[in-house]
Amino acid sequence: MGMSISAEQNAAAVAAAVTASEEAWSALGVVAEAVNHSAGHGFAFLRLTVPAPHVLTVAKGLKHDMGVNYCSMVTGTHFPEGDEHRGWEVAYHLQRMPVINPDPNTSHVLVAGDLSGMSMPIEIEMLVPLPQGDDPRVPSVQSVWRGADWNEKETWDLVGIKFDGHENMFRVLNPHDSPEGFHPLQKQHKIRYHDFNEMYDDAQGFVRKPVDEGRVK
Amino acid sequence: MAKMWITMGPQHPMTHGLWTLRVQVDGETVVDAEAELGYIHRGVEKIAEARDFTQVTPYCDRLCYVSAMTWSNSYIYAAEDLLEVEVPERAEYIRCISAECQRIASHLMWLGAYGPDVGNLTIMTWALREREMFLDLLQELGGSRMHYNYPRIGGVKRDIPPGWADRLIAKVKLFEKRIDEYEMLLDESTIFLVRLQGVGYATAENMVESGVSGPNVRASGVNYDVRWSHPYSVYDQLDWEPAVEKPTSVKGSDCYDRYRVRMEEMRMSCRMILDAIEKIPGGKNTTYSNGDEMIIAKAPTRAPAGATGFSNYECTRGASQFYVHGGGEGRGKNPYRLSIRSPMFITIPFVAETMIGYKVADIPAIMGSFDPCIGETDR
Repeated sequence: MGMSISAEQNAAAVAAAVTASEEAWSALGVVAEAVNHSAGHGFAFLRLTVPAPHVLTVAKGLKHDMGVNYCSMVTGTHFPEGDEHRGWEVAYHLQRMPVINPDPNTSHVLVAGDLSGMSMPIEIEMLVPLPQGDDPRVPSVQSVWRGADWNEKETWDLVGIKFDGHENMFRVLNPHDSPEGFHPLQKQHKIRYHDFNEMYDDAQGFVRKPVDEGRVK
Repeated sequence: MAKMWITMGPQHPMTHGLWTLRVQVDGETVVDAEAELGYIHRGVEKIAEARDFTQVTPYCDRLCYVSAMTWSNSYIYAAEDLLEVEVPERAEYIRCISAECQRIASHLMWLGAYGPDVGNLTIMTWALREREMFLDLLQELGGSRMHYNYPRIGGVKRDIPPGWADRLIAKVKLFEKRIDEYEMLLDESTIFLVRLQGVGYATAENMVESGVSGPNVRASGVNYDVRWSHPYSVYDQLDWEPAVEKPTSVKGSDCYDRYRVRMEEMRMSCRMILDAIEKIPGGKNTTYSNGDEMIIAKAPTRAPAGATGFSNYECTRGASQFYVHGGGEGRGKNPYRLSIRSPMFITIPFVAETMIGYKVADIPAIMGSFDPCIGETDR
């Protein structure tokens, strides 16, 4: 009780992170804003919208100047009907975790009341919009956060976003002999479901039943 | 001696699921290891794009049969963030209690599977016996033994049944004594200690850098916990603190520390449950009818394009995260994109690196100590 980080502490830490990001990267066209979750306790997080060429600069700044040491998730999304500048989007979910190795036989216990400034845990969402086209590319942050390694492998495997500079890229969830260019989470691949007219690409030989002809949900 | 590659898996007792660990050995020593995943990839993220928000919950249950309740809760928080739902406090308490019951059941399943890995068969029968107590409690809530489909967007499916609170308290109090029995069995077993102590070292900073989270990091002496750093549900109102271990070496935590931290987590979950059931709004002996505003709030079914929801949830194996885009099929009834972050997907490649330098016989002890679960890894 009272040991958890409070909403005020969180809001202050995120506001400081917004200021720091604006000072560092607003010249690069990076937009920083504090956004509140609508569920739960309404905690704030830092949302950065970064142009693709500057991803590595911002990532290094986050890691070395703002102590963001944890890359938890990389999500690619395909928007074939979106506008020209946002045909794809890569979302990086990052966290600052004030973790240090404790000495032997001791533990490094973080107490919410003692934390401030750069040692306050915050969540960061880094959005990278990519233009329409068949060749979405973004610089790899594998060299900055090792945790991004398998996340990027997965994002390439499922969504088909290419990570320039990623070493040792291979299919992790799809079979190794999947056809080149097959990335199932792209939107041209449809899933068959009840009354929808849209079919699979028919990889498994599904065909629409005659009785369903013309039925649209 | 010439180096050679050995393939362990996909059918191997060490794997606890369906995946392959390829190890390169020089005599008995592991010099390289790599993980091969994806054997049971079901494409849940794609399936979800053709389901509406409520229909996704059962798929999230099935991400991991060992901790179904925490996974569906995790999804529900993301959907609520997207749909902007205010959840009644009683429902939050019920979710918190059910998730902690699931955490205990999951850790018991881990203990039951890990014991035979390292030569202690008795603990398997003991742990699975107690796990059944908690599965019975969850069955009373959700209706089935493993896949509950219990949380709903805006609350929970139904209230706690009459007498459930008393049964819960009795079982938790009994279980607290049983944890002491496990420790008497394991901490005094030479075989168990010899297999666990001094193998599989990993430091906290290294783990965080590689994306590992949850009990595995807390075993290295850091009390980082999502329930503490970004409290969701009612964890900020309960009397608890993250379980944390004191590793004995500068090299970080070994398998024994990871075993210890899970035992402490079960104790902490018991403490949380006993605290939460007394504080539950509306009283622990009351049962509200289905759909009552005490246990479920009205929630919209559609989300506009451009809206996103995110949840960061302390699952039993680490931080599980969901990221949802609104505005999919059916004028926003379906998620446009559902992205799942599984803690074990990141941890398993890390464990493969950790094994380098140890003997082949240590592989099951190291792998098991990280609590692998392949259902959530492959999704």
